[in-house]
Amino acid sequence: MLTYVLRRVPSALLVLLLASMLIFLLLRLIPGDPAATLAGPDASPEAVAAIRGELGLDRPVPEQYLDWLGALLTGDLGRSYLIGGRVGDLLADGAANTLVLASASLVLAVALAAVLGPLWAAGRNRWLDRALTGFTTAAVALPPYVTGVLLVLLFGVAARLLPTGGVPPGGLADRPDITVQYLLMPAVCLALPVAAVLTRFFGESLRTELGRDHVTTATAAGIPRHRIVLRHAVRNAVPASVTVLGLQVGNLLGGAVLVEAVFSWPGLGMLVQQGIDRRDYPVVQVLLLLSVAVFVLVQLCTDLVHAGLDPRVRLGSRS
Amino acid sequence: MTDFIAQRQATTARGSGLLRGRGLAGLTIVGLVFAAGLAAPLLTRYAPGEQLQGANLLAASSAHWFGTDELNRDVFSRVLHGIRVDLLISVVAVPFGAVAGGVVGVLSTVHRTFDVVLQRAIDVLLAFPNLILAIGLTAVLGPGLTTIGIVVVAVEIPVFARLLRTEVLRVRESQFVEAAEVIGAGRARILRAHVLPNSLEPLIVQFALSMSVAVFLEGAMSFLGLGVRPPEPSLGSILNTSLNYLDANPMFAVGPLVVIALLVLGFQLIAQQAGAARRSR
Amino acid sequence: MNSHPLSRRRLLHGIGLGAAALAAAGCESAVGLQERAANAVAIPRPGGTAKLGLTLDLIPKNLFTNTGPAITALIGLVYDTLVRYPARGLEPRPALATEWWPAPDGLGLTLKLREDVRFHTGRTFTSADVEFSLRTYADPKWNGQLRSTAAAITGIDTSRPHEVALRFAHPLSNVFDLLDTVPIIDSETAAGIGTGERFVGTGPFRFVSWRPNTDLRFERNPDYFVPERPYLDEVQARIIPEKSSLLSALKAGQVHFADALSHRDVESAEKYGAITPITLEGAELQIYTGANVTAPPLDDLRIRQAIAHALDRDRIIAEVFRGTGFASSLPWPEDSPAHDPVRAARYVRDLPRARSLVGQHGGPLPVIPLTYVGNDTSQSAVAQIVQSDLAAAGIRVELDPLENSRFTKQLIGGEFRGLWVANHSWAQFSPSTLTVSAYPFNARKNASHFSSPGYTGAATAAWQLPSATGERAGAAYAALSDQLLDSLFLIEIGVYWHRWAHTSALRGIGYRRRRELDLTDAFLA
Repeated sequence: MLTYVLRRVPSALLVLLLASMLIFLLLRLIPGDPAATLAGPDASPEAVAAIRGELGLDRPVPEQYLDWLGALLTGDLGRSYLIGGRVGDLLADGAANTLVLASASLVLAVALAAVLGPLWAAGRNRWLDRALTGFTTAAVALPPYVTGVLLVLLFGVAARLLPTGGVPPGGLADRPDITVQYLLMPAVCLALPVAAVLTRFFGESLRTELGRDHVTTATAAGIPRHRIVLRHAVRNAVPASVTVLGLQVGNLLGGAVLVEAVFSWPGLGMLVQQGIDRRDYPVVQVLLLLSVAVFVLVQLCTDLVHAGLDPRVRLGSRS
Repeated sequence: MTDFIAQRQATTARGSGLLRGRGLAGLTIVGLVFAAGLAAPLLTRYAPGEQLQGANLLAASSAHWFGTDELNRDVFSRVLHGIRVDLLISVVAVPFGAVAGGVVGVLSTVHRTFDVVLQRAIDVLLAFPNLILAIGLTAVLGPGLTTIGIVVVAVEIPVFARLLRTEVLRVRESQFVEAAEVIGAGRARILRAHVLPNSLEPLIVQFALSMSVAVFLEGAMSFLGLGVRPPEPSLGSILNTSLNYLDANPMFAVGPLVVIALLVLGFQLIAQQAGAARRSR
Repeated sequence: MNSHPLSRRRLLHGIGLGAAALAAAGCESAVGLQERAANAVAIPRPGGTAKLGLTLDLIPKNLFTNTGPAITALIGLVYDTLVRYPARGLEPRPALATEWWPAPDGLGLTLKLREDVRFHTGRTFTSADVEFSLRTYADPKWNGQLRSTAAAITGIDTSRPHEVALRFAHPLSNVFDLLDTVPIIDSETAAGIGTGERFVGTGPFRFVSWRPNTDLRFERNPDYFVPERPYLDEVQARIIPEKSSLLSALKAGQVHFADALSHRDVESAEKYGAITPITLEGAELQIYTGANVTAPPLDDLRIRQAIAHALDRDRIIAEVFRGTGFASSLPWPEDSPAHDPVRAARYVRDLPRARSLVGQHGGPLPVIPLTYVGNDTSQSAVAQIVQSDLAAAGIRVELDPLENSRFTKQLIGGEFRGLWVANHSWAQFSPSTLTVSAYPFNARKNASHFSSPGYTGAATAAWQLPSATGERAGAAYAALSDQLLDSLFLIEIGVYWHRWAHTSALRGIGYRRRRELDLTDAFLA
């Protein structure tokens, strides 16, 4: 097992290194210049050149890359050109906000799917079936920025029940009861498409399970329908649904870019969008590298779990 | 061998299964919407870019079914013409991405070295959420229809590469392919005659889902200011602009929203039918 | 844990799950917390927190460029200037300086300073701080827009603590523009400006904290030199980049003030009720079409004249800026000493004439790229109207929307391939300030690649006048205006006013001439 881990780690590190080069190079290929943003619209070209010098942007790209990599290895993430603050601090704040939002959405999505999926699978009511189909279709078809705007108009402006956006003035940890209210609309907005996909998949797996022989046998034996659903079908349908859920986490983080924009939620999506827009290289390159690192780590863990279960994988033979 | 023949027969039957029930409904909806987009010049009284004097943000009326926009243009005409952008990315970009991804996926199964290299490359692509990829690519290439197309292709390649790779590995293990190998069928022939037909449903499901992802991406990119180049209309850019004018002309938003919803619904129905056909196997 | 009565009632009538959940939990409403502050009844009364919504976050290194809502809010709240222009006209009023007199030779100015002013750190304000602030402003690294004027101040005498004597390299007709603009900063903490950690001035509010992409906080300066001001205890400025979200927050009363809504949004907010617009008269902006005069066919003056005659300026002002401004061929606002209604009406929409000018050029015209900032709704609308207007005159234009950072880079680098649409300001001050400060008008180097001895001469003559007003000045401005109208490297569309919007809860909002926010007299009603 240990040898397998050791064998997989270098390739993961290689992916990271390649990704870091790619990110660094691509960012500098994007037309535009952080120095121009810093100088402002009425600056002279000389002033821009001076700022480029100050930021070290006039040096050769490989040299800049090695400097950055060296600093990264010592744990120094650098400073934002435009915000002025340390990238580490910006990242920590943004990541905390995004994680809270994404986890709240995940909980909501799972809860919705756990209720609606079995309803859909077990229900023999045509109208219920249609209503659920309508809901799941609408949730997928309506882009989050549209649901976001509609929710804000309804619950923020017309009814004034919930804050229209932003984070609590005292921070997320200050007053949980207040934080929940700030979270509710963005989390629902982000959760809806995920919940729809999950409901449908979970529902369909349940239906497949319900069509199997042992279920038929159980029905013939007179076991009540809801107990069959809960006991037999759910137990078998859950593992596959968890896999689908895992795949949806990526969508959640992508959708966060939109939802954070609608609700002025200061998370990673906002940070990366603004960073690219202003060519704030130090912020963007660390954020993108982080995204790759997380992905690589998840892959590595998945592989390790598979290896733990299947000796063939561990020994390197592939069918 | 009998198993093999049964499989082939099943495939033919299932191919026409798409034209029943939900599948038929989905195909009809998508077909009608796309036909309306193609026939847009015949169905509208105004050109999509025509700025009508004094017609600023008019509400819906018999002259302007969806009212007019902030630049005095007929929204109905712009919505119908905007369908063409989604038609292009669905009918050109998604298949292009699917084929390119498919080739990558099949190549991975040919040799181990290919597999390792290609899978790592796909890892890097998959590591960026779709919209981050869209923001980055648009920053490099500049906004426009071509960029949206390239983003859709870039998003679809890893999806189809993974799918095809899994399918090839799955089918290859089944008895009838082993049988075909025993009787000496070539790799290409096995792929064409056995693997692809037997992977048809998952492919159709993914294809329909990818098309709705493409429609979504176009809208999301427009929302982030990365959409088509004005004054060209697209469903996403019309919808995004309209959200600023809900008070003056609600149909400005409802029009494109309904069309987007219809397209996504159509693709979902097709995917469901293909999925159902697969389950019934 | 008691809920606000208003929201309690709403909770009981509850709409949907959210209400039920809130009611069931019996917990305090976040909206209620905000409304309670807003509904407190009283007229000019100290205390309370003003909540602002700003669309663009702070870029600390841009502090002296006066660009962006966060910068203008920060400067207006934290810093003072030596003199201050009133809302109209160019007659300076006392601020940190109480009185002033020019040197007999016209090459200097002496100012007497207030003696009771202290920085937020507690240190007393003296003439040395004036020198430090002017020198910092003149430092190229801060890109102050009036830098060339600051650099023309060759000597600063600070031998007396509360009097400062300035010496000029040449007569400076716009020196009061500079003194109305330069924020007086604290030398001891100036290093913290660039990193966004410390902003120390003498203004009505003290800077407390900045959370990037989230908010800026300020608290009352108890030592402010104006007695019993400011009224407010605290100012919180939230960063809300999406304008539709900002509009919603304003309508819902969750911010009292919105800085950068589009003119259409302000109009819609006004109709919604309980929201009042503030039209920033005296802080005019200009919308214009620039032309790269080296790029064919724009190198032909007749094509630029055709463009000037093809534009439907009135429609742009009416539809994009909702009538908050006026069409003009020149940048000057109506109260500018350079304003001249006849010259301002030199180019009006005249399609036959535009077509004939295009015809005189002869041969087919290439398609001209038109660059603008893509995610700015107003400029995007103007660009599309310009495209449609020019098409009617037989000039084909291809739109080229760019991100803000790329647009700025192309503007500074003079990289535009054809036309561009943008706005500018600085015409509300002494007319010479425009030509020596706003980069598109810079006679020496500009984005149009335009230079002519006539224009350079007229710009310099206007700058080196002994005074910004008077008969001699009028003649110099007429010559400058004629240069602009004849050369048409910038084709003005019109002058417009920016608009703010606020709820009825926050009253007494003021502004300075560069759109800096002034909350000295603001209070919660």
